[in-house]
Amino acid sequence: MNEDFRKQPPLKLAERPFSISKPFETHLENGLKIIIFEDSKLPLVSFRLAFRFGEIDDNNRQLSIMNSMMKEGTEKFSSKQLADETDKYGASISIGSSSDDTIIAASSLSVYRSEMLDLIAEVLFKPTFPEDELELKKQNSIEGLKFNRSDAGFLADERFSKIVYGEHPYSITSPTVSQLENITRDDLVALHRERFVPNIATFLVVGDVNKDDLLAELKAKFGDWKQGSVVSKDFASVPKRTKKTLTIVDRADSAQSNIVIGNLGIKRTDEDYFSCLVMNQILGSGATSRLFMNIREDKGYTYGAYSSFDKRKLTGTFEASAEVRNEVTGAAMTEFFYELNRIRDENVSDDDINLAKSYLTGVFPLRVETLEGLMGQLVSQELYDLPKDYLETYRENIEAVTISDVKRVAQKYIDVEKIAIVIVGDKKDILSQIEGFADNIETFDVEGNLIN
Amino acid sequence: MSTKLNIAPIKIEKFTLENGLRVVLNEDNSSPVVSVAVYYDVGSRNERKGRDGFAHLFEHMMFQGSENIAKSGHFQHISRAGGTMNGTTGSQRTNYYEVLPASQFPLALWLESDRMLSLNITQENLENQRAVVIEEKRQRYDNQPYGQIFDILTEMVFTNFANSHSTIGSVEDLNAATLDDVADFFRMYYAPNNAVLTVSGSFEIDLAKELIEKYFASIPRQPLPPEIDVSEPEEVALKHKIWEDKLAPLPAFLIGWKIPPRRTKEFNALYLAGKLLYDGESSRLYQKLVKGEESVLQLFGFTDERRGPSMATIGAIPKPEQDVKQIRQVIFDEIENISNNGVSLEEMNKLQNQLRNDEVRSRQSSLGRARQLAEFTLYDNEPELANTEIENYLSITAEDIRLAANRYLKTDNRSELDVIPVNKG
Repeated sequence: MNEDFRKQPPLKLAERPFSISKPFETHLENGLKIIIFEDSKLPLVSFRLAFRFGEIDDNNRQLSIMNSMMKEGTEKFSSKQLADETDKYGASISIGSSSDDTIIAASSLSVYRSEMLDLIAEVLFKPTFPEDELELKKQNSIEGLKFNRSDAGFLADERFSKIVYGEHPYSITSPTVSQLENITRDDLVALHRERFVPNIATFLVVGDVNKDDLLAELKAKFGDWKQGSVVSKDFASVPKRTKKTLTIVDRADSAQSNIVIGNLGIKRTDEDYFSCLVMNQILGSGATSRLFMNIREDKGYTYGAYSSFDKRKLTGTFEASAEVRNEVTGAAMTEFFYELNRIRDENVSDDDINLAKSYLTGVFPLRVETLEGLMGQLVSQELYDLPKDYLETYRENIEAVTISDVKRVAQKYIDVEKIAIVIVGDKKDILSQIEGFADNIETFDVEGNLIN
Repeated sequence: MSTKLNIAPIKIEKFTLENGLRVVLNEDNSSPVVSVAVYYDVGSRNERKGRDGFAHLFEHMMFQGSENIAKSGHFQHISRAGGTMNGTTGSQRTNYYEVLPASQFPLALWLESDRMLSLNITQENLENQRAVVIEEKRQRYDNQPYGQIFDILTEMVFTNFANSHSTIGSVEDLNAATLDDVADFFRMYYAPNNAVLTVSGSFEIDLAKELIEKYFASIPRQPLPPEIDVSEPEEVALKHKIWEDKLAPLPAFLIGWKIPPRRTKEFNALYLAGKLLYDGESSRLYQKLVKGEESVLQLFGFTDERRGPSMATIGAIPKPEQDVKQIRQVIFDEIENISNNGVSLEEMNKLQNQLRNDEVRSRQSSLGRARQLAEFTLYDNEPELANTEIENYLSITAEDIRLAANRYLKTDNRSELDVIPVNKG
């Protein structure tokens, strides 16, 4: 049987056109920005009411409690009634904050659009923050903190953030027990009044809706919302690193070492964003990257080794990480540094950069196949203040990255001489393997106390 | 409320190649994306004693190259095309899938057919992937608080080895796997007549048929693998066990029940009973335990869907100093309440809306559709169930739920696992 056709990958078929039409945008008189994207493929609708304030705008770290308390009682509904009202439509509403923003998210069958808008308005405008619900929420959140401390990933992130961000509020990854204990109902009422204002908010709706009907409804339900003051953003500067550091969080009985190696990176709108994206694709994003191929596929030290630039409004981080068995902690670090140095010192090949670019441009339509995928794109474009033509120019921005750009941003953002290494693991099993990686080693316990 | 879902059905075209490969096509041009899924009728249920975890280890070998594709070539080709891919192993099946820009559709067929025909089985790849899988086990199970408790409960609920042992396996068994095992497993289970191929998304039907014929038709059929026995004895007593967890910050418990197979009226009713009990903030047990008594920090549950005897589970992490027995009793009282008094009209409306919402959302992505079609074809030989099974769920009545809870949950024939933290520090 002649099966020569198997020897080469098949030619691709004709491209099928891909375009996303521009969503409709407008403002209400109170400053609330509205973005509507009509998509009637299926009878679904998705809502995001996104605010330009986040964890870092709240020194007392009361946001996570406030967000969840908005669903624990309103003028019209008790906590249980709110849960019943949402679930009876098979729908969902959640309120959450990241470092930079706060989002009320809801989704449902499109036939329940008006009911969902009423519910969003109810939790947004009429929360009553009942004292008994607040006590329970505080109690549960304090227990939740203990939970976090059993998780190696949480501990690694907590320590790494403190090291690279110093006094900047990005350094804080969760509230303290005493912050939680001290929250009062008055705090929440004030925080809610101050922060949830229309002039720092965007209401995004994607799905099976009629734009004009929806707009009329949004005006009726959110048009009387009063403006407030805009949060001022005045934060401590991030520290300048002067040397390589190695920090252990000693977690007894760990079956693996959780290794994080990194430093400060870029903000989402940095001009080096696309070069960093391509560089990181080659270094540590996904199953074709150098870290994965070396530390997993060649050495078998880990289930996965990756690197990433996190997206933040202000300065983000660069991080390379893996979870490896205790015995190979030192050997895995050697491979990490080999790859970090290699991408700084050597030009990547044409094949490397072409692979990275063709992935980053080709995968785009896959990301917006579902309502939630498309919504994710629109939300980040909005909250990070990306240019209006961001989606249209994405491909050419990726294509423009050169081999020397890759080397340049590797040298600029992966500062191996001053990098921070954090390992969460069982110190007695790994110490002798890692002593050579920095001049001295600091050790913390899982509660966050410095031991030496 | 109507038991019909008022959306356009998934368009289905199905055929079988001469070598026994079952193919299902769903043309849907709403996005310029195509998903290809290959499901093999092999999971941990097919493993023999002493080879726990082998089906999953084998899944890793499927990414190590074949006659015309280099080691790691699968990742490279898919990435270069702007696609994503993965494989997963469960108790019931092993699946592989690619999601690609529509123009790259032939690539997935080339890659999937090459490894079905000519997998590259070498000692070096086996050693490497054995190490990776053991790290996967450490990362996802051994190094996680409560990471092992669901596998332990499954071992308690089921008696038959085919059902009871874990998919990830043990280090000892993973270390015992030989190259001959890999070759035998490939021959026995990775044959076209033991597999299903589904394609969903933007493509032309005629071209798809032509390409599938070209890439898959010459892969030889194999004798069908031996039938397996997944039957379970009726339980007659309560089982209880204590697990000491080195990483857990607080005690926890799980309760498990053996229940009838998927797609039976009883299974569907018990799935809905589970949702009423623990799913979401309006659920009965959330309102009783997390609110109400304020005794529980986290409440969870799920229904494990199998072709044979299946499993229902409810678990909780109580707050410190709480009486675990008392919390379990609240759960049993609520099950008794359903068994005696049934389910309200409001609850039935809620369940039906949740079913509709979940169903419509699951149809959004080409991969979601490809996976559903593949499962119904592999398990039931009836891809059309992707359109109609929802009606079976919507037709479950309050009385069906009451009867099923009464028969399968209100019983001493269950398994209870108590998790005790032992932090040695």
